[in-house]
Amino acid sequence: MSLLHLVKVDLKKMTSYRTFWVICGLYFVTLGFTTASGMEILKWIAGKFQDFGSEININRIPLYHFPDIWQNLIWVSGLFKIVLSIMVVISITNEYQYRTLRQNIIDGLSRWELMLSKILMNVLLSLMSVGMLLVIILFTGLIYTPDLAWADIVTGSEFLLAYFLEVFAFLSYALMLGMFVQRSGLTIVLLLLSNMIEAIIKLNVFRFGIENSFGWLKQFFPLESITNLVPLPFPRYAFQEIQDSVSMVAVLIAIGWAILFNYFSYLRLKKADI
Amino acid sequence: MNLETVLSIQRLTKNFGKLCAVNQLDLEVKRGQVFGMLGPNGSGKTTTLGMLMGVTHPTSGSFTWFGEKPSHLTRKKIGAVLEHPIFYPYLSGQKNLELNAMIKGADPNNIPKVLEMVELSSRKNDKYRTYSLGMKQRLAIASALVSDPIILILDEPTNGLDPMGIAEIRQIIKRIAADGKTIILASHLLDEVQKVCTHFAVLRKGKLMHSGPVDDVGKGEETVEVMAFHDDLSIYLQEFVGSASIKREDGLYQVMMKDGFHSQDLNKFLFENGIITSHLVTKKKSLEKQFLEILSEAH
Ligand SMILES: Nc1ncnc2c1ncn2[C@@H]1O[C@H](COP(=O)(O)OP(=O)(O)O)[C@@H](O)[C@H]1O
Ligand SMILES: [Mg+2]
Repeated sequence: MSLLHLVKVDLKKMTSYRTFWVICGLYFVTLGFTTASGMEILKWIAGKFQDFGSEININRIPLYHFPDIWQNLIWVSGLFKIVLSIMVVISITNEYQYRTLRQNIIDGLSRWELMLSKILMNVLLSLMSVGMLLVIILFTGLIYTPDLAWADIVTGSEFLLAYFLEVFAFLSYALMLGMFVQRSGLTIVLLLLSNMIEAIIKLNVFRFGIENSFGWLKQFFPLESITNLVPLPFPRYAFQEIQDSVSMVAVLIAIGWAILFNYFSYLRLKKADI
Repeated sequence: MNLETVLSIQRLTKNFGKLCAVNQLDLEVKRGQVFGMLGPNGSGKTTTLGMLMGVTHPTSGSFTWFGEKPSHLTRKKIGAVLEHPIFYPYLSGQKNLELNAMIKGADPNNIPKVLEMVELSSRKNDKYRTYSLGMKQRLAIASALVSDPIILILDEPTNGLDPMGIAEIRQIIKRIAADGKTIILASHLLDEVQKVCTHFAVLRKGKLMHSGPVDDVGKGEETVEVMAFHDDLSIYLQEFVGSASIKREDGLYQVMMKDGFHSQDLNKFLFENGIITSHLVTKKKSLEKQFLEILSEAH
């Protein structure tokens, strides 16, 4: 079956499902609104301060100026991926609850095709996030940047690729969790607690002073590797050193995890009696 | 005529931990048969069908569809509903069938026809979750038919239905069989298998007990052991229309019965002739009796 046909199969399952539209709507609206309106909100805050007699020159903080805007908005967007991942969890746990995976296989999908249809859906959702952000960044960047230079516009656009990987790897993680746990409520709770659980594990592994010699291992933890793709940009406005480009090592580690997540999901699907 | 083999199963086995759900099963289904898989609940019918449809991994053994090694491509040529109808509850009947057709690579133009066949056309735009059990079962049959498959597999399709619903489903199955399709029907009801099937196999605790044409069900003679304190007993036994032969062994008479005659018929005959038996035991049972006993076993 062609890849396009597999995407259509999964879309067919979702496009008449109200929850899908509610969650995706919530995701894209809040994501779009937050990223597009940040400057207006800042202006409004500055105006309020002015009413009290203090002066803030928001142009001194080039949040929406090329090239800073890439990393700034993409980092903020990364916070929203949890909403999309809940949609992915619901889509897979529903299939276990209704046993529709079983019927899909009886009807003639192979387990690999089923897996691929879910992976492709994740690719599609990630691409839509990236596309939306690209449009918002270009628009707002062009509006707010005072002295446009082509070189500045292009610099930092590599974060868009990192963003795609960030969303896709996280959705792959959510899909895997859903396939192993199979119950929607429990999966969502685990998903929300994942970062905390990983932090606790790291705390326990790296104590007794081995932090210094083995601290570099932290970047290999799955959720941290996803976070490391787009480093927090804002400390640069407090004159701190930040990493303002995408790290190749971080990309390789995150790709590794994305492949592993999907591979584990596939193994699970392949081995199980459904 | 040398009939084409559609399904051939060799020593198929499935263990769930210590439980052997299907035990060294061998079966053959030929084109055009309406094949009944008869067995009490828990005898391994659904597990067998699950293995045939790729959702349950066999522990050992093998099977071929159309002489080929099974794959998802062979499954597309089969329409199957195992155990319960399975659909997306939030989609309408129509949309569910469209999805089935997409997966099977079937022509979506078949959908109106199969909906008509199971008499669901008027409810096709209602969500599946609003359907009654009978409608769900009928939609399941429609989905199995949507790709115009060579083989149809139905697992307890009348389970839980009222007598009306049961009659409707059986009518539909007979109509499909009349179209020349091969059907495999799992059931725990001898009566259902007798009414719709041409051939059948009996399963008990995952083991094949019998397989053959349905016409054989009534066959197989009974032997009845009789004794009565009556001088002319042997004469009366010979006079009974159901006796095939009579032997005397260890002071008891062994009466071999003709097809379709049972011990109670003999008892009644003797009683009507004023003979009270002091001993009357069925030694060998007819197939029908054996099956009914198997089917009534709790698992
Ligand atoms: N997934 C499973 N895990 C453990 N035992 C199972 C599973 N599926 C079926 N069984 C057991 O296997 C036996 C056969 O079940 P099944 O094939 O459903 O019988 P039938 O369809 O003839 O009623 C039963 O004892 C059942 O409890
Ligand atoms: Mg069953």
